[in-house]
This record gives sequence, C-alpha cells and structure tokens, in this order.
Amino acid sequence: MELILKARDLKGGYTLQSPLQRSAQASQEYIDAVSNVSMELYRDEVFGIAGESGCGKSTLIKILYGYINPPLTLKQGSVELYAEEEKPIDISSLGLEERQRRVWWKRISYIPQASMNILNPTMRIRDHFAEMFKIHMGMGKEKAYPKAQEYAESMGLPRDALRAFPHQLSGGMRQRTVIAMAVLLKPELVLADEPSSALDVITQRTALTFLKDVQRGLGNTLVLVTHDMGIQAVLTDRVAIMYAGKIIEIGETAGIFEKPLHPYTQALIDSLPRLGDKSQRTGLGGQPPDLSRPPAGCRFHPRCAHAMDACNREEPQLLEKGDGRHVACWLYA
Amino acid sequence: MAPKISKHLIKYIGVRTVIYLATIFSGVTITFFLVKAMPVNAIENILFSITQVGQVYDPEALILLRKTLYEIFGVGGNPLESYVLFLRRVFTFDFGPSIISYPTPARELVFRRLPWTISLLSVSTLISWIVGNLLGVLAGYLRDRKFAKVLEAVAITLYPMPYYIMALILLIFFAVIIPIFPLGGGISVIVESLTLEVILNMIWHSLLPALSLILIGALGWSFLSSRTLTLETLTEDYISYAEVRGLPGNHVLRRYILRNILVPQMTVLGLGLGGIFSGALLTEVLFAYPGVGGLLYYAIFSGDLNTLMAVVFTAMIAVATATYLLDLLYPLIDPRVRYR
Amino acid sequence: MSKAKYLGIIKKAYNATRNIYVSKIKFRMGFTLLIVILLLGFVVSFFAPMNTRTWYTVPKDLPPSTEHLLGTSTMGRDVFWELCASIRNSMIIALMTALIASHVGLFIGLVAGIRGGILDRILMFMTDTFIIIPGLPLLIVVLTVLKQWMTLPLLGALISIVSWPWPARQVRAMVLSLRERTFIYTAMLSGMGMVKVLLREIMPYLLGWHLINFTNTIIFAIGMETGLGILGLSILGDNTLGVMIYWALNQFFALFRGILWWIAAPIAASTFIFVAFYLTSMGLSEYLHPRVR
Repeated sequence: MELILKARDLKGGYTLQSPLQRSAQASQEYIDAVSNVSMELYRDEVFGIAGESGCGKSTLIKILYGYINPPLTLKQGSVELYAEEEKPIDISSLGLEERQRRVWWKRISYIPQASMNILNPTMRIRDHFAEMFKIHMGMGKEKAYPKAQEYAESMGLPRDALRAFPHQLSGGMRQRTVIAMAVLLKPELVLADEPSSALDVITQRTALTFLKDVQRGLGNTLVLVTHDMGIQAVLTDRVAIMYAGKIIEIGETAGIFEKPLHPYTQALIDSLPRLGDKSQRTGLGGQPPDLSRPPAGCRFHPRCAHAMDACNREEPQLLEKGDGRHVACWLYA
Repeated sequence: MAPKISKHLIKYIGVRTVIYLATIFSGVTITFFLVKAMPVNAIENILFSITQVGQVYDPEALILLRKTLYEIFGVGGNPLESYVLFLRRVFTFDFGPSIISYPTPARELVFRRLPWTISLLSVSTLISWIVGNLLGVLAGYLRDRKFAKVLEAVAITLYPMPYYIMALILLIFFAVIIPIFPLGGGISVIVESLTLEVILNMIWHSLLPALSLILIGALGWSFLSSRTLTLETLTEDYISYAEVRGLPGNHVLRRYILRNILVPQMTVLGLGLGGIFSGALLTEVLFAYPGVGGLLYYAIFSGDLNTLMAVVFTAMIAVATATYLLDLLYPLIDPRVRYR
Repeated sequence: MSKAKYLGIIKKAYNATRNIYVSKIKFRMGFTLLIVILLLGFVVSFFAPMNTRTWYTVPKDLPPSTEHLLGTSTMGRDVFWELCASIRNSMIIALMTALIASHVGLFIGLVAGIRGGILDRILMFMTDTFIIIPGLPLLIVVLTVLKQWMTLPLLGALISIVSWPWPARQVRAMVLSLRERTFIYTAMLSGMGMVKVLLREIMPYLLGWHLINFTNTIIFAIGMETGLGILGLSILGDNTLGVMIYWALNQFFALFRGILWWIAAPIAASTFIFVAFYLTSMGLSEYLHPRVR
C-alpha cells in the first residue's frame, strides 16, 4: 500500500479566554482537543474516523487540512503529504498563502461539517464550478463555463441543477454538489467531515453512495469522519476510533467490528442494533472528560469497567496487535 | 442574460405596484385629514398674517387663495365631497395659483425646480451608497486595522447628524473660514445654452450641498450598515467554505461579501429615502440652491399654502416612486426573489 | 406596587446601568457626555442671572470672554445662558416626542408581531406608508398653519406623528425573532396565555430595545426641531436650539458678520447631543447583542 499522508505527534487545540471576566488579567484556557495523534493514510482507501461528539475528529481533520484559524492552534507535530516523485511536503510548516496555492483543493480537499449554508446564495451552481476553474487553473470565462458544464455532467448532476441557485436545490442535491466540488481538481486526498449528518436517512444513503462511487472512480483517498458507526461499517476500509482527543484503536473495519479490542470500541459496537438479537442495547455510563483539564493516565479510565491501577497513572501508547490493528490500552500492553 | 420571467416574479411586481399606488393614496388621505383636523380659523389666521408681514399682494390673489384654502380644507361642504375634490386636485397636480408669484400656478413653480433637486439628490445618494458600501465592507473585513477603527469613530459622529447640520458646518467652514466655494445659488453665469462652462459652473455650485449629503451618507448610515452587514456575513458558512477552497481575499470580498450585502443595503436605502429627501430640502435652503427646498422656504415665509401643498405632495410622490423603482430592482439582484 | 418592589426595580436598573457602564466604552463616553449635557440644560440653566427671553439685556456682539463664556448675540443676550435654556427646551420637546412615539411604536409593534395575520399586514402597511411619507414637508404644512398656538409639548407631540414608524418596525422585528425561539413555544404550549407570555418572557428582552428606540427617537426629534427651527417654524418666542440657529443665521446673518460664536454654539451643542445619545444607544445595543469574535 502506498503512503500518501503521514501525521506525526499532532497536538492541537483551542485557546479560550476564561469566562471569568471580573479578574484583572483574563486567564487563558487551553482545550486539548487533539493530543499526540499520529496516523498514516494510503492511496486508494476509504479511511474512517469515528467517535462521539467532542472527541476531536473535526479538529483533527482541520489540522490535517491545515485550516488552522484562531482560537484553534497547532502546538506541535507535522503533517506530511507524500507525492509521487518529489520529497514529502510538510503542510504544517507552509504559510497560509502557500498552502492555498500548492495544496488546497489541488492535492487535498475538504468537505466541512454542516454543509447546508455552504454555497454562496447569490451564485449559481455553474458559477461555483466555473469559479474554481478560473482561479485554480487560470482559465478564462469562455473556457471555464463549458468545462464546468462538462464536469457536472460527468458527475451525473442534472442540467437544471447547474442553472439553479443554492436555495432552489434540495438538501441532497446540494450535498452532491459539494461532493462534486471537492473532487473538481482531482485531489489525491479528500477529507469529509460528517458529510451526511444534515440529511435525512434516505438522502444520506444517496449522498454517501455518490461519495463512495466518486472515490472508487478516481482511486483517491477518502477520509470519512462520522460518529455513525453504521456508516463506518458499510463504507470504510480502515477506521480509527477517537476518544477525548486520542486515537485509541485503529485497524481494518471488518476486523474491528468483528472483534473490537478497546473497551470503548466494544461499547460503541455493542450499542448498535443487530439483526436477530433482541436483547436490550446497553449504553456507556458517564461523560467524556473536560478537555481543559483532562484526566491523568488513560483518558477513558473514569468510565472503563476494566480500569486497573496503571490506567490512572500512565497513558497507554498505541501498540500493534497484528493484522494492522493498533490499540492503546493497558489490557493489551 | 435577461432574468427569467417566472410566475413568482410577476406576482412580486404586481404586489409592489399595488403597494406603491396604495401608499401614495394613503399618504394623500392622511395629509388631507391632518390638514382638515386643524381649526377653521387657521385659514383666516394665515390670510391675516400674510397681509401683516407687509408684503404686497395682488388682491385677486388673496381672494383666490381664500377660495383654494377653503376648498382644500374642505370647509363648508360635506367631507366626502371635499375629499374627492381634493383627490382630484392632487392627481391632476392642480394646487391652484401660487401666491409668491401670482398668477403662476403652484405646480409650475415646483416643476421648474424639481430637476435641480432630483439631480442633486440622485447623484449624491448614489455616490454615498456606493462609497459607503465599499468602505464598510473593507472596514468590516479588516476590522482590526487602524483605518477601520478611525472610520468607525468618524461614522459614529456623523451618523446621527442631520444633513443640514453638516451643511451648516460646511457653510461655516468653507464659506467663511476658508472661502473657496460659493455660498449659494445654483449658477453664476448667464445661461445661453447648455455649454460645458455652464455645466461646470452648475456642478461647482452644487458641490457643497452635495458634499453635505455625501459625507453624512457615505461615512454615516451607508458605511455603518455596510460594516455591520459585513461583520454578520463574515460569520456565514459560505465564507469559510470560500476560504477553505483557496479563493483569494479580494475575490471573496467582491463576490461573496459585497455581493451578498447588496440586497439588505438596498433595503436600508429604501427605508431612508424619505429622510434623505427631507434632509436634502433643508440643505438646499441653507445653500440657496434653486431646487424645491428653496421654494419651500419662500412658501413658508409668505404663507403660500398652495405652493406648500404642491411641494409636499410632489415630495411624497417622488419618494414613493423612488422606493418603488428600488423595489423593482430587487429581483435583478436577489435570486431568492426571482425564483422560489 | 409595593414600596419594596419599587426599590427592587430601581436597584435592578442601577445595577444594570453600572454593568453596562463598566463593560462598554461607547456607553461610558456617551453616557458621561449625556449627563454633562443634561446638567447644563436642566440644572445649570436655572441659575441664569437674567431672563434669557428678553432682548438686549447685555451689550451685543461681544466675543467670548471670561464674563460672557460664549460671547453675546446680536439680540443682546448671553450666548452661554441662552444655550443652556435652549438645550433644556429642545430636550423637553424631544422627550415628549420620544415618550409618545416610542410607546405608540412599542404597542403597534407588539400587536403586529404577536398577532400576526391580517392585523399584522394592515399595521405594517400603515407603518410603511408613514415611513415613505417625507416627514419634514408634512410637518411643515402642519406647523405653518398652527404656528401661532405652538408650545413645547405640542411641538413634541406633532413630531411624534412622523417618528413612530421606526420603533414600530424595530419592535415588530424583535418580537418576530423572539417568537420563533423555542422557549416561547414551550411557554405557550404549556398553557400560558398570550398576555402572560408577553409579560414574562418577551418583555425583558424588549425593555432594552425599547430604551434604544427611545434614545434614537430623541436624536430624530432634536434633528427635526433644529430643521424646523432653521425654517422659522419652531417656537420663535422661546429658546430652542433650532430657534437659536434661526435668529443667528437668517435674521441677523451672524455668519457673514463674523459673529461665529453665536451660530457655532447651537450647532456644536446639537452635535454633542447627537453623538452622546448615539454612543449611549450603541453601547446599549452592543451590550444587549454582543457579537462574539
């Protein structure tokens, strides 16, 4: 499998002003959203990132893309993009302008979360596409519009949709537009953050199938962030489970679903309904930790049924367990 | 690329037209009843005070004035009749003869001066709106820069000021302290034909009045609302999506921010037209500009109610029409109105 | 209402004011300026050593000096004391206008926003009509006729005829946006009557905006009065800012004769009033509607 991206020891989060305004010096709080995350992505795969709300998946995606606006800061770590002939590019060290010019949309693209209001209300769909061609590929108006038309047709978007303004399209159609937009310049990597959460279940299926077809057609890498384990099961080849800013398990999707190792993963998968199994679904008690003051040792230990002494003293590292599976848990150390 | 004439669009135009006509109608009606609600002796009072001031009036004029006033005020006759008569008068622009230049009909006085006012107003308003928009967008986008903060401070001072106060300030400053601009009048050369010299002279005379209007407009309400709208737009998802797609700053400013605040800014303009017109009238008075405002002043001074009414109704119709035209422009700019 | 409740409300208002004063710089500046102006108008003016309505009480056309802080006018009056009285009278007119217009607007906006439907459409149509009618010409006609009987409160009331649409619009917009908020639905669905919903849930938000509308109306009214004054349609026998400008500008051509202090004083004073009220209003609205970075 060919490497396309390598993230090393990423540590990033949000610096907020403390809500106590009456103090003379406002103190700063740091929310440790992504803590020591390392991962590798390969070509032509669908890689899932799963976990509950607030676990850091969206922040991780933003860091991978290099979309780091205050109050988000990257404290440490590097993200390297591996190209075919050249040396790997360290995205995290590039300035914003260079990132925009060299990397964004051409090599990596990004589908942000909650994409309902994401298109310019005063621009038609074909204007959106043409704009990208004009700016990124320097095309003039006369070439950009026909190309936009051609592209939309190749993506299976109907003629009427092109002429329309965003508010005239249904949610599903808008999402397909956003997906088509993401692969406009044929990037090698697409980061999709909850691409279907704003849609109803039926439309979700259409949008996600579209996404998967696009990936298969282009043979690029798709990173799919979603808390919905059902989607992970169906669409991804490999999946990483995140909890409280850390990756706690990573491996081939089929394997993880069949035999989850980390207690948190087990709880996640146990909560899914199964055909034929009529027993009551159990949830996990407790809450995810406050990331401005994360617990010592393993961040999951306060909720873990198998917690041991070691768990609240030292953080477990991600260790290989064979078959590409990695787990960060003292049970398997 | 003409806009598609959808059913939605036709309905929109229809509704706006009805509102336009209805607004003028109700404005006229309200004025009528307001005027009618005043005590009868008011008429005699006016006539009395006119003769008192010592102006020389043609006696025929006074008789006609009394007649017109009684008619307008609907005294002696049933109210419905006088209302209908009144309506007829207004819609044929027949306000009777003016007093200040008897027997010239009041409407002629107004029409003669109207082009001056309209040209001053349209040019100034257009410039203020455009400049205010651009400055506001820049100040909103680059809100931490010094110039943005300075502009904001200036705007806060200028916004609540009425146009005529600015006119007064400019008057004191430029006419007295640093005398460059002419203090009044619309023109200072004899007009034989519309030569370049004549036109330039007209523009020179209209500079100060225009400046008062433009300063308060561009650096006042237009700037302030543009800036606020920009700040709100910047929080929209489609802006961050544009950034994330690698679209350069000035493109985003133009196509994503400016373009999207145009519609609300037009609403702001529409709502302010009445105020702009009133303010412009007074500015004209201060600069003795030969527009409708100057006429207003003379009419008040001489108690010429006919001319006054003519001016008031012309003003109402002018503002309503301008608002209507603005409403018609909406579909061209806002796709949400054009298509459902 | 019991005495205790009164005190409670006053205390709440005091604390709220203090809060805003501390946190918003615009409010601080505006409010301070406002207090200065109000003091000049309503306190200092009562110490005038002369009757400011009589002419020729002091030698005329004197430039500012230690004896006459802002000089004297051609009518033989001390400009400073005349200014104080003018501020007072203009403020009385403006307060009158604001009291009437903002409350009428509040009422109409509330009814239109809460009831909706046909009533809303009718009220909004009326409101929009009034907004389009240029206020100044209308007032000019009315005042020309009623010139003789004009008093301070009457002028205030007349100006309110053209000022009520703006607060009405604002209040209605506020009510509409609040109506959509879930807590209103919850209250209504749990059986609370319309009036109760109004008082308990909506009012607290509205009060702040009502204050802002009040302030803005004052600004508008002073502007109107000054404008009418310039045309000679204000109360010429008394001292208001508009009247001061009228005499100085039109009757005695202070501008051309270089008696700048006479005309500059009312202009400066009105500008300060505008800025003070506007800063206060802005500070208040920023406090009520903070824009998160």
